[in-house]
Amino acid sequence: MRDAGFKEGAKAALPIVLGYLPVGTAFGVLARQAGLTPAEVGLMSLLVYAGASQFLAIEMIFKGIAWVPIVIATFFINLRHLLMSSTLSLYFGPNRLRTLGLLSAQLTDESFAVAMSNTSKIKNRPGYLFGLQITSHFTWIIGSVMGALFGGLIDHESFGIPFALPALFICLLLLQIRKVHHLYIMVIAGISSLFFKWALPGNWYIILTALFASGIGIAVETKLIPSPSMASGSEEPLARRGEGEPARRTSSSAGGVGEKNKG
Amino acid sequence: MKLDTLYLVLGMALVTFLPRFLPMAFLTRWVLPEKVKKGLDYFPISILSAIVFPILFFNGEGRMEIQHHFLLSSIPVFLFAWKVKSLWGSVILGMAIYWGLGFVL
Repeated sequence: MRDAGFKEGAKAALPIVLGYLPVGTAFGVLARQAGLTPAEVGLMSLLVYAGASQFLAIEMIFKGIAWVPIVIATFFINLRHLLMSSTLSLYFGPNRLRTLGLLSAQLTDESFAVAMSNTSKIKNRPGYLFGLQITSHFTWIIGSVMGALFGGLIDHESFGIPFALPALFICLLLLQIRKVHHLYIMVIAGISSLFFKWALPGNWYIILTALFASGIGIAVETKLIPSPSMASGSEEPLARRGEGEPARRTSSSAGGVGEKNKG
Repeated sequence: MKLDTLYLVLGMALVTFLPRFLPMAFLTRWVLPEKVKKGLDYFPISILSAIVFPILFFNGEGRMEIQHHFLLSSIPVFLFAWKVKSLWGSVILGMAIYWGLGFVL
């Protein structure tokens, strides 16, 4: 597991560290207010390690809800990881279950998205993914315990902290766009996610959006639906179409990933 | 530690681990049909879209309501991220703009 990829993966976690420290701290503060001890906060961040459901758990504890309904709610919120774990599985052969277990235990939206931003780095490199994920996980634990210990001293609404993770996700989203095709999928997924979230309770909108938008993606690719981009001949990767990319290095490596995915 | 809290943490850990682990454990041992693989290609972009856009248009309670501070901060981050493709740069820029907006609006 500790091959050369580990350090590289740990470095790739830097943007997640920036986001997790303040958000983890915010979680620690709230959890403390809800009556959890710093040790309990640390244990939860160590074993559960799922931001959205940890925040929800705290909210439910505040409302006096018992542990069983909270566990059920957690299950449904985190079902979306089924999709991410399925996607990641494409990049790993039949490794030992212990290795796969360790990798998947630390899977989060953020580490998944960073891993997918350059899939050539994770292909058959458990060490890289492990470095990326354990750095993120460690930050989350440190942040939440610090919040529980020194919560009163930090104003987690300040310094632009609420926008740290949204900004990270915006960049991760744009890194996924390598063809005009992807732009359409983004628009379709964006609009349908708003509709699904509006129409349905809970977190179902993420899973439904992923299935719906990917379904459309396959339908276009297998020519069940005529593709608008085929007509204009824009199946070329975006970078080659002279969009004025200053970051040639990143976009060309991203383009390489796109081609790899086709194979 | 209170017993209830221990059950809570262990229960949450288990139901979170299973959906993370099961596909990884099984799908790495199966050969997937091409169509399924192609579909999985679109998952990252659809999942990320489904995370990003609702943040801009729904409030913390899940009701539809334009999040003006988020929306306005997101525009420069979209442009910056598109041009520069730097993750930590986007995070820092986004935080700075959001923080600054708080003084103006």
